[in-house]
Amino acid sequence: MSQANPAPPPLIDTRTSGRALGSEVVTPLVLFGLTVLLVIASRWISPSLGGLHQVSAIIVLSAFLMVVAFGQQMVVLIGGLDLSIPSLVTLGGILTYAWTTQSGWSFIWILPAALVVTGCVGALSGAGVAWLRIPPFIMTLAMGIIVYSASLGITAGTPRGHASPALASLFTGRILDLPPIIYLMVIFVIFCTLLQSSTPFGRRLYALGTSPTAAHVAGLPVGRLTVATYAISAAAAGGAGFLLVGYAGGATLTMGQSYLLPSVAAVVVGGTSILGGRGNYVSAVAASLLLTTFSTIISSVQILEGWRTIIYGLVILVAIGALREDLPLWFSRLMQRPAPRQPAPLVASDSK
Amino acid sequence: MFKTGSLKRLALGLVVGAGLALGGLGGAAHAADAKKYKIYLSLSYSGNAWQSEAANIVKALAATPPYDKLVDLKEVISGTDVQAQISAYESMIADGANGIISFPISSSGLNKAIRRGCKKGVLIWVYDGMVTEPCAYSVSYLGSGFGENTAQYLVNLLHGKGNIFLSRGVAGNMVDKRHVDGAMSVFKKYPDIHIVADYYANWDDQTTQLETAKALAAHPDVDGIFAQAGEDGAIKAMIASGRQKLPFLTGENSNGFRLALANPDYQKRGFNGVSSGSPPASSGVAFKLMMEQLVNGRKLPFHNVLYPLPWTTAEEVKICTGDRIENGCNAFPASKVPDSFVTQVFNEKWLPEASLVSALEGKPTPGATIQPLPGNDNFQQAPDMPGIDCNNCTPPADLYKLTKVKPFNG
Repeated sequence: MSQANPAPPPLIDTRTSGRALGSEVVTPLVLFGLTVLLVIASRWISPSLGGLHQVSAIIVLSAFLMVVAFGQQMVVLIGGLDLSIPSLVTLGGILTYAWTTQSGWSFIWILPAALVVTGCVGALSGAGVAWLRIPPFIMTLAMGIIVYSASLGITAGTPRGHASPALASLFTGRILDLPPIIYLMVIFVIFCTLLQSSTPFGRRLYALGTSPTAAHVAGLPVGRLTVATYAISAAAAGGAGFLLVGYAGGATLTMGQSYLLPSVAAVVVGGTSILGGRGNYVSAVAASLLLTTFSTIISSVQILEGWRTIIYGLVILVAIGALREDLPLWFSRLMQRPAPRQPAPLVASDSK
Repeated sequence: MFKTGSLKRLALGLVVGAGLALGGLGGAAHAADAKKYKIYLSLSYSGNAWQSEAANIVKALAATPPYDKLVDLKEVISGTDVQAQISAYESMIADGANGIISFPISSSGLNKAIRRGCKKGVLIWVYDGMVTEPCAYSVSYLGSGFGENTAQYLVNLLHGKGNIFLSRGVAGNMVDKRHVDGAMSVFKKYPDIHIVADYYANWDDQTTQLETAKALAAHPDVDGIFAQAGEDGAIKAMIASGRQKLPFLTGENSNGFRLALANPDYQKRGFNGVSSGSPPASSGVAFKLMMEQLVNGRKLPFHNVLYPLPWTTAEEVKICTGDRIENGCNAFPASKVPDSFVTQVFNEKWLPEASLVSALEGKPTPGATIQPLPGNDNFQQAPDMPGIDCNNCTPPADLYKLTKVKPFNG
């Protein structure tokens, strides 16, 4: 142990127990904790906040972000970035809207069809990244522009189709006083977490993100993994577009626009390393909830718009600061013993 | 070479022949000069229903006889960046444009380019938005009092008392400021009207829905919503929130909003309001005025033409049966257009050529020909609004006067 770490023995002990706590557990717990605190504190702003209605509204509003953040996170895990998300949300929405017939339950086949089409677009991006060695952000930016422009050209600016009452009932219906989409999201989150953490595919993505060279040497099919990851990201965006059609009752060419930066924010605030290889979906879900909760509360406070965005930016900074790597260490130190009277570096030098 | 030359001559002959035929029918005889006017359609951004419809109307008119023989229309989309639209204008002027018809992204940022164009004799018309450069022409509803009139309508529905949301446009935008200033001139007279939430929804349906949903979670006791474009999203948010009683809503001209106003189920749940605001038809009127200036040498006594405020209350919503907008109908069945479709694409006096197909696809209405616009006394000048259509000017004292609705007293 002491060979592996040059620091003196007492420090090693704390670090080891800090690791035991693990950022995988701490990050989502801190984020969920902050969210709950915010919800409780919001009663002070408006007495109607903090109730079941608000909580269910927040979960519904963050559902779209959670879905796109899943795709974005997969791409970030392998060290990439997906800038085509807004266009693919739009494409998914336009297809869903155009294919919907008034018969009601047509969305049963529309969802897989939309996922396949958007997934294929994503696979093209992945192929460009994996085999043509185009930097991910250039490749996905270009793909996004192409998809958006094609959508604009084909729809002449006004996507047409039919609203689906059955799809809308995911949001307007109630099962045990909650909209059905909430139950679906729980299933989605469990499924995605298992895909990431407990399947060979998921584990290989971490290996690939940590070191593409090592992954290649270890015999992982790097190219195919990359293509699959971008396809999943695009399909997730398409799925979000599908859900948005249910929520908004229609598709517009701007429907995906507001999801690019939030998807990156949810992933990064959720502790995923932008360099790849580290992060987990539960944290991104927690971050989506936190960001949505915060924006819900901040928009009900009567202050100038400029201040709202400044505060929003500060909260993201604070959240990222609070989730630094050494946070588990700091926590476990706090739990293990009373805070030392002298500053820690001094203790270390004393023991030398 | 020779072959194409003769083909060209043949085409010219056909055009001249067609022009003479039209002339014989009492149409525009100017087609005979066979020269096509080079017109540019400059859009800043595109992608929302409003922008597409306004652009499609211009394209449809340019393809409607006799303009189809007179106009060579090119469309340029430059995005939300002012610089990009400036350079788009510059290239159009350099290319020898006869006219530019444009949705301006900024009321002051384009002035230098516009001035340069005017000096070179390019006719520059803007629609919906206005510019402070006096040599440009405009057709816009901005001076017609959308903010104050819809605000007063909302106050009247609420009998001067209640909690309201302000669903705003783009932060820092002059148009949003004009609407909200007008609205506040009304709201501040009623101490029992409480604005419990205000949010910027960027004139976008989906943003409006998300922001309204957030505000509804915080303030379920809301009684009315003052909205700008994007109001259809506010309805979607109300419905998705699962509430029984629906707040009143004032907003712009989306088909979804008009259908909701006429929806008996929503009416039973207390829904009411007025549909008003920005008409995409203003692009068509601007284009026709420009063409009459170019072709017939029409003279206008002023540069800023006021588009009268569209105004449709719940009782006035009438659903069209066909693709033509006739017999006073003002909304379409949900099977024909999406909820985000902006209905105000037609004007009986000024734009009888427009129909659903022109707004949705940019194609001319079958069988339609361009009808001449009425004389100058049918048009009204827009009031001076500093920062919107003029610089260093004073707005009239009665800028926020009510034109559509009487104030509620006690």
